Amino acid sequence: MRGYVDTLKVIILIAFRNLFASRLKTLIVGGIILFGSMLVVVGTALVDSVDASMSRSIIGSVAGHIQVYNAKSADELAVMGSFQMEGADLEQIDDFKSMRAALLTVPNVKAVVPMGLSGAMVPAGNSVDVVLEKLRDLIRRQQAGEDVKPGIESQKDHVRQIVSVLAADMANVGKVLTDKAVAPEEVAAIRRATAPNFWSEFDQDPLGSLEFLENRIAPLASDADMLFLRYVGTDLAAFAQSFDRMKIVDGTTVPPGKRGFLFSKFTYEEQVKLKTAHRLDVIHDAILKRGKKIATDPDLQRFVKQNSTEVKEIMLQLDGQQTAMFRTKLQKELGSQENEVSKLLAEFFRIDDGTLMHRYKFFYDELAPSLTLYRVRVGDTLTIKAFTRSGYVQSVNLRVYGTFAFEGLEDSHLAGNLNLMDLVSFRELYGFSTPERDREIQAIKAAAGLKEIDRDNAEAELFGAKPSEPETAAPAVASDTADAVLRGLSGKNKRERRQDQTYDPAQLGQGVILNAAVIVKDARRLPQTMRDIEAAGTKVGMTLKAIDWQKASGLVGQFVTMIRYVLYVSVLIIFAVALVVINNALVMTTLERIAEIGTLRAVGAQRRFLLGMLLVEALAVGGLFGGIGSALGAGIVAVLRMVGIPAFNDIFYFFFSGPRLHPGLSIVNVAIALAIVLVVSGASSIYPALIAMRVSPRQAMQSDE
Amino acid sequence: MTHIVSVQQVFKNYTLGTFVVPALRGVSLDVEEGEFLSIAGPSGSGKTTLLNLIGCVDTPTSGVVRIAGNATETMSERQLTRLRLHTIGFIFQSFNLVSVLSVFQNIELPLLLQRSAGAKERRSRVEALLDRVGIREYASHRPSELSGGQRQRVAIARALVTRPQLVLADEPTANLDSVTGTNILDLMKELNRTEKTTFIFSTHDARVWSYASSVVRLADGQLVDRVSAEEAVRVGGVGNLPSARTP
Repeated sequence: MRGYVDTLKVIILIAFRNLFASRLKTLIVGGIILFGSMLVVVGTALVDSVDASMSRSIIGSVAGHIQVYNAKSADELAVMGSFQMEGADLEQIDDFKSMRAALLTVPNVKAVVPMGLSGAMVPAGNSVDVVLEKLRDLIRRQQAGEDVKPGIESQKDHVRQIVSVLAADMANVGKVLTDKAVAPEEVAAIRRATAPNFWSEFDQDPLGSLEFLENRIAPLASDADMLFLRYVGTDLAAFAQSFDRMKIVDGTTVPPGKRGFLFSKFTYEEQVKLKTAHRLDVIHDAILKRGKKIATDPDLQRFVKQNSTEVKEIMLQLDGQQTAMFRTKLQKELGSQENEVSKLLAEFFRIDDGTLMHRYKFFYDELAPSLTLYRVRVGDTLTIKAFTRSGYVQSVNLRVYGTFAFEGLEDSHLAGNLNLMDLVSFRELYGFSTPERDREIQAIKAAAGLKEIDRDNAEAELFGAKPSEPETAAPAVASDTADAVLRGLSGKNKRERRQDQTYDPAQLGQGVILNAAVIVKDARRLPQTMRDIEAAGTKVGMTLKAIDWQKASGLVGQFVTMIRYVLYVSVLIIFAVALVVINNALVMTTLERIAEIGTLRAVGAQRRFLLGMLLVEALAVGGLFGGIGSALGAGIVAVLRMVGIPAFNDIFYFFFSGPRLHPGLSIVNVAIALAIVLVVSGASSIYPALIAMRVSPRQAMQSDE
Repeated sequence: MTHIVSVQQVFKNYTLGTFVVPALRGVSLDVEEGEFLSIAGPSGSGKTTLLNLIGCVDTPTSGVVRIAGNATETMSERQLTRLRLHTIGFIFQSFNLVSVLSVFQNIELPLLLQRSAGAKERRSRVEALLDRVGIREYASHRPSELSGGQRQRVAIARALVTRPQLVLADEPTANLDSVTGTNILDLMKELNRTEKTTFIFSTHDARVWSYASSVVRLADGQLVDRVSAEEAVRVGGVGNLPSARTP
């Protein structure tokens, strides 16, 4: 044994002396290995850390550990990162109760949360609509005998203010567009609304005047954005319990058994808030949290420009009194004699790094209290119109109970673009029947005296024995009946009333769903659990497909896999180059040392001695430089862990599960790097070793030293 | 006496493309233990080929080569290597030292390959040889820091460190000046006398024949004769050797 150790010592000695003798080659080869191993350590540590962070984000926000859906679905489920508004086309799971019971028989399953994912464009109304609605309400109350004249005058004043803003806007448009590009009916509408006689005659036909304003003037105010809402219909209580990062930010959660909607705070801020205020927040946060500067950041400069040029959305909100108040405050704040509030606002929002903090405070302390900051407020009713799976439009009115966020992911677009609603309303929007809906349809049928007929007898039943004769009376009757039915239901619109309706909470535990999030006890056993889930489904006659959080999250979850592949390909290329370079260097060294190798063979060195010598040379270079590279990589990861890698946009905010990624290093990262280096080094010594082993001891007799 | 080397009717051909070049043609030779034998002959006469066959670094095309009683034609490559390691020491014309090792390490190398001696024994053997060949003060030097004669002394020490029965030297003085060459031959002769080691060395230099106990003369791949050193010296240079092809 001692002899082997001594032989190994001499092999190592020869190997190291040879490496030292060809320093330049050793350094070139070593440099490549050093870079490669450093890349492996830093790369795998970062990818693993992002993977872990992102899994926390995805699992904790909506996907859960596993998503289960009907295997017969046309599309694959993607709860995040899908560009489709409606989400994937999933086949329904008819009986959530049976499915849940089956899934809970799998030992690793902790909870099953029913879900459905869809999206809709929701009209949120514009400033003019809001003012006109208030005016209409006051006029109705006046017609009912209430004394609301001062209120009516104030609102009329506000509408006139709006019209003058729109007229000024149109005049500006006229400067840059030709007459042909401006619609003449719009010009005529503005001209009529700004004419003094329109307002003096307003009271003679208030509802007619209002109709004109609603139909012709309100559409000209272009702040009427649609809200693009993606939402998850779920058992909100089970959701909150299973996704414990969820917290209510404003308002309350939807009470059990009530229909309702919860805005994601991110969506609420981004889509519902007054755009000027939102941009101001973004600028403020970028400077305060991310250390950015308006002077150097083109995005922030763009926001400043938009805020100072797009003051119309604020102007439209101001009535006469508020306009005067804004004028006074802004003149004082800016030290300006300017009388036009729009110009004062433009000047006010032309902020720079020096004025931002003060103006931000001034805006929220002095101006914002007079403005409607959110188009939809907590407590308001949101009319959501969506396409059902079969393609017709369905709508429900839902009370907005509050906003929520996932802790640590407050600024993430990906985590923040899903809103929540109760599962019962979701089913209705998606076109699934509910017991209340069935009862309502039955009531309508009964009230209208409708009779069920089958398809085969439809012609005879509807049109009698002479189907070719046009029937004119029937539609009229049907129409009258429908009106009567609707009158019977109204007083208050039936749909509007539904928002106040409660539903039996038992409905959440049964009925139709599209998919379900599964929370497991041991996240390391996902593959087995997924197989168990599918098997459990089969047992109860359901064709279930279980996918892990990564797949369920769609493009987002595959991002890390993609990055991992890119890393692996880069590493593969680097080490392929390293392999070739080490191989060539060793071949050159071997050829230069033919005489020496021949001598060693002549004096009694076996072939394995030469193999060992070359292997040790390659492994020594690999081990030494791979070790240094790994140590440097570990050092870089340690520094990154200390300072954190900032999430420079909201996507990375989600990937990092927060504003900064503090990557961790595991022994596996270093072990992978060293293993790759050693395998590559070893492999690269094979061919030179073959050359060396073929050297005859006769070479010693023939060559010069 | 025992034959340490026995070569019987050995032929060795080399193939160069389509040509077959005969290097040895039916050579037979017995060498007894303790001999200091010189193989003489002009360039191309087959000296080195014969030495290669005796040194087990090459195998004959036909014929028998026995070294210390071992029939080499039946031995595997691995066994031949072991035979070289344990039985034969080599001294090369170009010294062939391992350039990255020190003098001490070069001499120690065969012992390390043998894996039989412990560190202490290795040290004592190497130091004794360093003293014997007179290069003790250069023990830690690299070969590149030594003169030709010093390098050949290192090579001699390396050849002897395993206490081989046979030492083969291929033109050991060819790259040395005459004084150094003479010193080296004196050293080899002394080691032959004191250690009873058999030396076989090839040379085409008639001046060194006087050191040999006998001289085997080769010409055109054939053994011409085997004469005493005195006879060889008397006959003179290799140019005076009778042609093997002449009856």
